[in-house]
Amino acid sequence: MSTETLIPEEPEAPTNRPPSMRRVKLWLQRPYARKILILNVVIGFLLLPLAWLLLAGMNQTGAPASEIMKDIEQTVFVFTIVSIPITAFVFAVLVYSLLGWRHVSGDEPPMQDSPAIRTNTIGVILWTVASTLLAMFLVVWGLVELAQITANSFGSIAANEQPGQKSAEIINVTGQQWVWTFEYPEHNGLTSDVLYLPLDRPVYFNVTSKDVIHNFWAVELGVKVDANPGAITQTGVTANKLGTFNVRCAELCGMHHAFMQTQIQVLEQDAFDSWVRESGGKKTS
Amino acid sequence: MKKFLVTFLTVLLGGAIVAGVGVFNAVQGEAPPVLVANVVGTKTAPSGEEMPHAELYLDVYPNSSSQVPQPETKSPINNVLLAGQPFYHPSTSLQVPSNSLVTIHFRQYDSGGTIYNPYFAKVHGTVDGKMKWNGKEVSEIKPDEVGHTFTVHQYPESTQPYFFMSIPLPMNPANAKTDKMGYPVDPQIISVTFMTGEAGSYVWNCEFPCGDLYQEFGGPMQTRGWMAGTFDVVDV
Amino acid sequence: MSVDAAVETKTVFGSEVPQPPQHGAAGGVMRRLNFGTGLVGGIGLATIAGWITAIITPSSASSDTFAPMEPTYVYLAVLLGWFIGFMLGMGAFVGPLRWVVGRDITHSDAEYMAGKDLGRKRYWKYTTDHKVVGIQYLIVAMLVLGFAGLLAMLIRTELGMTWTSLFTPSFYNSMIGTHGIAMIIGMIVIISGPLGNFIVPMMIGARDMAFPRLNALSLWLFVSAVPMLVSSMFMGGIQDGWSVYYPLAAQAPPGMLGYQLTIIVFAVSTAVASVNLMTTILTMRAKGMTWSRTPIFVYGIFAASVMGLYAFPFFQYAQILGLSDRVFNTSFFDPLNGGSVWLYENLFWLLGHPEVYVILIPSMAVALELMPVFLRKPLFSFNFAVAGIVGVVALSGLVWAHHMYMTGWAPAANYPFMLSTELISIPVGFLVLVAIGTFWRGTAWTRLPLMAVYAVVFNKMIGGVTGVYLSDVPADQYFHGSMFVVAHFHYMLMGAGLFGAMAGIAFFFPKMTGRFLDERIGSIGLWTAFIGFQITFMSMFVAGLQGQPRRVLNFDDQFNLSNWISTIGAYVIGIGMLIFLSAIITSWRSGVLASSNPWGSKSLEWQTATPVPLENFPVLPVVTERPYDYGVPDPYEAELDSTDQDLMEKAGTK
Ligand SMILES: [Cu+2]
Ligand SMILES: [Cu+2]
Repeated sequence: MSTETLIPEEPEAPTNRPPSMRRVKLWLQRPYARKILILNVVIGFLLLPLAWLLLAGMNQTGAPASEIMKDIEQTVFVFTIVSIPITAFVFAVLVYSLLGWRHVSGDEPPMQDSPAIRTNTIGVILWTVASTLLAMFLVVWGLVELAQITANSFGSIAANEQPGQKSAEIINVTGQQWVWTFEYPEHNGLTSDVLYLPLDRPVYFNVTSKDVIHNFWAVELGVKVDANPGAITQTGVTANKLGTFNVRCAELCGMHHAFMQTQIQVLEQDAFDSWVRESGGKKTS
Repeated sequence: MKKFLVTFLTVLLGGAIVAGVGVFNAVQGEAPPVLVANVVGTKTAPSGEEMPHAELYLDVYPNSSSQVPQPETKSPINNVLLAGQPFYHPSTSLQVPSNSLVTIHFRQYDSGGTIYNPYFAKVHGTVDGKMKWNGKEVSEIKPDEVGHTFTVHQYPESTQPYFFMSIPLPMNPANAKTDKMGYPVDPQIISVTFMTGEAGSYVWNCEFPCGDLYQEFGGPMQTRGWMAGTFDVVDV
Repeated sequence: MSVDAAVETKTVFGSEVPQPPQHGAAGGVMRRLNFGTGLVGGIGLATIAGWITAIITPSSASSDTFAPMEPTYVYLAVLLGWFIGFMLGMGAFVGPLRWVVGRDITHSDAEYMAGKDLGRKRYWKYTTDHKVVGIQYLIVAMLVLGFAGLLAMLIRTELGMTWTSLFTPSFYNSMIGTHGIAMIIGMIVIISGPLGNFIVPMMIGARDMAFPRLNALSLWLFVSAVPMLVSSMFMGGIQDGWSVYYPLAAQAPPGMLGYQLTIIVFAVSTAVASVNLMTTILTMRAKGMTWSRTPIFVYGIFAASVMGLYAFPFFQYAQILGLSDRVFNTSFFDPLNGGSVWLYENLFWLLGHPEVYVILIPSMAVALELMPVFLRKPLFSFNFAVAGIVGVVALSGLVWAHHMYMTGWAPAANYPFMLSTELISIPVGFLVLVAIGTFWRGTAWTRLPLMAVYAVVFNKMIGGVTGVYLSDVPADQYFHGSMFVVAHFHYMLMGAGLFGAMAGIAFFFPKMTGRFLDERIGSIGLWTAFIGFQITFMSMFVAGLQGQPRRVLNFDDQFNLSNWISTIGAYVIGIGMLIFLSAIITSWRSGVLASSNPWGSKSLEWQTATPVPLENFPVLPVVTERPYDYGVPDPYEAELDSTDQDLMEKAGTK
């Protein structure tokens, strides 16, 4: 923006430059282009284990224990794989900028300016198309998975209106500062501070709060929904793995928020039934 | 070199400030001194096993007075904000022995009302699922006659045994005879016995809305020393 | 200056210019006011107001939910007293008051207010010169960030000590709330404040901001808000996270008032600053500075101002309603009395998400601004950079409810908000493209500012990719409210935002202070902080993946390892930041002297003398070229062209 010009006006485009395909080929012959592409691939492969490491982290306490959690993990896996090439490309350019292209570090600026690349139509179009396609893929994937998960948890449809799910278990989840209680309305209003779930049977949660906002997070089952005062949020899940899992409150709810956690016990149907009997709940249906 | 000295001093000073503020705030912490349940003998568990028996005495007061001073707190603002609020006495930091039978004796001096969740009007987690209330054995009280509750619940550690205990403390009727401090002459006397497992750290709080602000769950309900505290099961 | 009947003239750059008639005499009490009188006024009025309120409020006063009201009323009076007294004592109302009584500010008063011939004293006064305001902003923003950083260290200490508890849960909650909001406020200011005020007017070839007195007003409003925020820690604290969701916030001790008044005042400050910056940029660009000749940093600041201007009122409004709930027992956010908790969440995130870009866009823009200088080549695809910024601004207001996927507020709305959130990755991607396109084939002059840009792009990439998981409803069903979110937004706000601010400060340091930021110490600080940053937040991602909820001070043993590592990393960040701070301190006092244009930049702000004279330019510059005219013809292209010519010659001879 100074008054003196360093470079002349850009030369007019020659009328007879090589066709673009050949220019791409020529471009690929440039040493830096190849090296960056190789670097891109190398970094990409170095990042690849992340896709499994992320899942390993998520699976530490026994997840996935439901189809929903499986869908979530699949999403995380696919997103990781999809974002690795582009991340690796950016990292490759950063690395090559420092190690491949020349750099100087003294008090004075480089003796010679760098090539005045104001833009590059092919590069810009490639990037735009790639990032748009990627975003579109993520959106479509997300929408499909969300529809899938909503179907699995029957979203906001009332549990007793589900077709063909007569044997579903309904549980009223109540959050209050700082304890969760679980009421089984079909079993004589049996209430517990531990969440007992029958294996392989759909369960619907009517989640609400007595006071502030809590968040009902059944970690290994991939269930998460806010418990709001004065409103009921509905969700559901089918636990497909036996074991002890965790309910954690995932919305700051005051002093003992960190302690608003309890267990999930996924039991075989007969074990579940005998728990119901022992705890004084009769099967009313 | 001088500038490196400045750098060194900056880091040192920064660290010192962090440490200083940290220590200051930790000292300011509101948790009162620990009240230990001492082993007084042995007692027979329902399984027939002889177990060490420890006892703990807790009182619940509607407010402080010259007879019952406020909880010990080093945070001066709490004395202002929580003046006239109910609290557990003499401490809310409790410690009981592991693998023992523990009896807690409560004297409840406060009034009360309706609890939000009737689940906490029932006794949970004691040896026989009952508590002794003014000499009677009961397993639940009326949900609209609750004074406070003593609800111990899980500390977020999967490496320690699950522990849940909730004791409803019945309210004193509004027409109860009071002494000159305003406390009932005959407080509600409750005692419960429960079994502890392996060592672990838990927290407890009151589930009856006896504080202030929204849903009466602010103030003392969210301050250790008043209506909430720690509950440590330790090996002795 | 006397008031004579004759028209006065003044010599301005060699020519006689008639001066407008002056009303009233110059001088007055204004010249005696400074930060000291502000403090005296603020503390004095706060004391008096608090004392009177304590006397007139019966100590038995309580709300219908048994809360003692006296502390609330007294604290409110103290805060309001502080605010009014401080602004009075600073002289914020001198201009309007004199206007009301018909004694407008005279020319010499205006010059006095601009800090003419005041030396160092001008930094302690209600000075209107944009360069002084810029420096003042820098100092105050660094103090706020330092305070928030101190809390961060205490938080990490607590989380690292998994075997015991250093603080009670209430105090821990109040630390995370205060840490969060102080960091947000500091980060919003740290680039737009110092660099937006100091650099932007010079960058566009203006003599000052459009409204110099509003400029001072925005700064001192911000300053007055800081003690309010800090004081809340002594009134029970902000125990509800930086988002202070209702109805939890309705249970908070009176410290919540400090939060509410801080936000109400700070929102006015940002509105004033935004309007000022926008007007300056729209109307005061030098002759010839068309939009295609306007530097990208100016676009960034303009974009941040636009977003701040429409986003902050939502937040302010929400806090006014919350204040009313607390003080007047209304029930806007009380769900048991017809209020709505989702209304609060919506109002909050209508600020909350644009605010992320208010922090990020200036940081990305300052990185893009300095890259051409150190790579000696033009910014790659200037139009794409502008398109990226415009795209982010356009979409930033349409994504807020992705913070509310799991609330159950409107499950059907999750679909469109997922769409808009994932779309915003396209314009943000444009900015990344511009950055790597500018790195492309550049000879990197690896001075501290450019090195910080490498850190920014790296962190931005990680923050961006992890943001994609969170934008997706199914994945968010696992990550929402977990430590994963915390790590993600620290990558964005700190990794990209704060490191961008460090790049900007290092870059403009010679212009602001006349000295270089010490390269060695600065680099050591930067890279120490960078390494610590990766350690801290990489392992925080792990904690989130394992399922640790955020805002908890005690957690399962399975999270211990990642939290220990995080805490160690946090201390490394702390040390790095302190080293960087010491570089700023030592360099400011006794750094290597810099020439007026030490980086060889072609931008306007470097073409004027250092220290910058009062009105920046002796003659207002005229811009004739696009920015970033660096570089030599591309050798490869030249070769290609010559081949063409050879071909043509061959064709001709045939
Ligand atoms: Cu909760
Ligand atoms: Cu209570």
